[in-house]
Amino acid sequence: MTSTTTGRARHEVVPARAGLRWDRFGLPSLLLAPLLAVILGVVGYPIVRTVWLSFHEGEYLMTGAFNGVDNYTEIFGDPYFLAALLRTTIFAVVCVLCTLLISLAIALVLDAGSWVARIVTVVVLLPWAMPRVASGIIFKWMFNDQYGIANWLLVSLGFEQFKGYAWFNDGFASLVAITIAVVWHSVPFIAISMLAGLRATRGEVLEAARVDGASFYQQLIRVRLPMMKPLLVILGVMSTIFAYQSFDHFLVMTTPPGGPSHSTEVLSLLTWLQAFTVLDQGVAAAMAVVTFVLLAAITAIYVKLSKEGA
Amino acid sequence: MTRKLIVYPAMVVICLVALFPFFWMIITSLKPDTEIFTVTPQFIPHEPILSRYTALFSGAIPRQFLNSLLVAGATTIITGLIALLAGYALARFNVPMKRYLLIVILSIQMLPQTVLVIPLFTVLRTTDLLGTYQGLVLSHLALTVGLATYMLRSFFMDIPVSLEESAMVDGASRMKAVRLVVFPLVWPGLAASSIYGFITSWNELMFSATYMQQSSRETLPVALQQFFSSYYSDWGGVMAASVIFTIPVVVFFLLVQKRLMQGMVAGAVKG
Repeated sequence: MTSTTTGRARHEVVPARAGLRWDRFGLPSLLLAPLLAVILGVVGYPIVRTVWLSFHEGEYLMTGAFNGVDNYTEIFGDPYFLAALLRTTIFAVVCVLCTLLISLAIALVLDAGSWVARIVTVVVLLPWAMPRVASGIIFKWMFNDQYGIANWLLVSLGFEQFKGYAWFNDGFASLVAITIAVVWHSVPFIAISMLAGLRATRGEVLEAARVDGASFYQQLIRVRLPMMKPLLVILGVMSTIFAYQSFDHFLVMTTPPGGPSHSTEVLSLLTWLQAFTVLDQGVAAAMAVVTFVLLAAITAIYVKLSKEGA
Repeated sequence: MTRKLIVYPAMVVICLVALFPFFWMIITSLKPDTEIFTVTPQFIPHEPILSRYTALFSGAIPRQFLNSLLVAGATTIITGLIALLAGYALARFNVPMKRYLLIVILSIQMLPQTVLVIPLFTVLRTTDLLGTYQGLVLSHLALTVGLATYMLRSFFMDIPVSLEESAMVDGASRMKAVRLVVFPLVWPGLAASSIYGFITSWNELMFSATYMQQSSRETLPVALQQFFSSYYSDWGGVMAASVIFTIPVVVFFLLVQKRLMQGMVAGAVKG
C-alpha cells in the first residue's frame, strides 16, 4: 500500500511557504468539504434529530412536548413491537446463515477458474442489479397459490399438500417465501466478495498444505477459511445489517403491509408505518433509535472481531 | 476430473436459479392471460403479445421512467464528484483525524434508513422540497457517498504517488498532474462507484415512497409498488412494468460489470 507520508517529498516543488500550507491544509479541506457537508446535513443532523424526536410527542408528524422516555416505555410495552423485534432477529439470523453458506458454495464452484467460471460470475451477480421491488413482485407471483410455479414444482416433486397452497395467508409461510426472495437478492454480492477472498488465499501456504496431502475439505477448513476470517466477519455483519433493514420485499410481498394480522411485521416496516400511516413520529423515532443501537452494537462487534483477526 | 463432474453441473444449477426469475418475468409479460393462468406452467408462450407494453407506454410509465432516470442520473453524477474529490484527499493527504473520518464513512453504510427517513421528511417539508427531484436526490446522497468515497480512495491508493511526483518535478502544477496523470488511471474506480450509485438510487423505495407522493414526479419503484397493490390480479401487466423497471439497471450493469467487480473486490479484500 502506498503510504501517504512518502508523498510528502513532492512539496519541494511548491516554492512558497503559503503554497505549502495550502497544499497541506487548504486543499484537503476544500476537497473534503462537499463530503463533510453531505455527511453533516443528510446523515449527521437526521441522526441527532431522530434521537431528539424520540423523547418528544409527535402525533400527526408535528413535534410536540418533551415526554421523557414515554415513547420507549410505550414500544417496550407493545406486544407487536416486541414480536417484530424478535421476528426481525430470527429472520436476520436465518437469512445470514443461508446467504453465507450458499455464497461460500458458489464461490468454491467459481474458484475453479475457467472461462466458463468467468461468465457464470457475471450471471451470479445479475440478481443484485434487479430492483428489490421487482424481485419481490416476481417471487410473489412464483409463490402464487393457484398458478405459481413454486407450488407446481413442489406438487410435481410429490408434495401433494402444496396443491393450491396459499403462502401468503399465513405468517410463517409468508416469511419462508420472503426469506427465499431476500436470500436470492443478497447472495450475489456476498458470493463475489467471497470468491475474491478465496482467490487471495492461493499461494505458498495452500500449496504447502496440498503437498503435505491435505484433502480439498481439509484445505478449506484448516487453511483457507481461517485465512479469510477478517473478510468473513465483514461479510457476516454486512449481510446481518442488510437483513435487519429489509423493507422493500416486506412492503411489496405482504398484504396489507406486515399482514396477515401483523404476522410479518419487521422493524423497518413497523417503524415506517408508525411514522407515515399512524403518523406518530415520536414513537417511530424511538423504534428507529432501538434499531440503530442494535445495528451499532453489531458493527462494534465487527470492528472488534476484525481487529483480532487482522 | 472428479471435480469437474461436480463443478459443471453445479454451475448449471447456479445459472438456472440466478436467471429463472428474470426469464419468468419476461415470459409472463409476453403471455396472454389465458396462458398465464394455467395450472401447468407454460414455459414458452404460444401466442406472444406485446399489448401490455404498448398499454404501459401510453400510460404514466414513460414519465415515471424519466423521473427515475433524472433522479438516478443526478445522484450518480453528484456522488461521483463528491467521492472523487474526497477519495483523492483521503488517499493522498494526512488529514487530521483521518482514521475516525474513515470509520464514519464506513458506518454510514450500516445506518438503518429508518433513522434518516423521519427528519429528512421534516427538512424537505420545511424547505418545500417534498416531492421534488432535488429533495429525493439529496436523500439518496446519504445512501451513496460513503461507500463511493471508500471505493475511490482504494483506487487512488493503488496509483503510485511517484507518477504525480514526476509530473510535478517536470513542472506541472498539482491540478495538471492530477488531471493528466491520475484521473485517466482512476477512471475504472469512478465507473465502479457510479454504477453503485446508480443502482442504489434507481432501486431505492423507502425515501421515494415517502417523499414522492405527488404523482407527476413519482419514480418507478413507487409507481410499481402502487400499481402492484391496486391491479393485484393483472400479473402480466405488473410483470411488463417490472421488465421496464429492470432493463436499465441490468444494461448499465452489464456494460460496466468488469469495473464494478474490480471495485467490489477491492472493497472486499482490503476491507
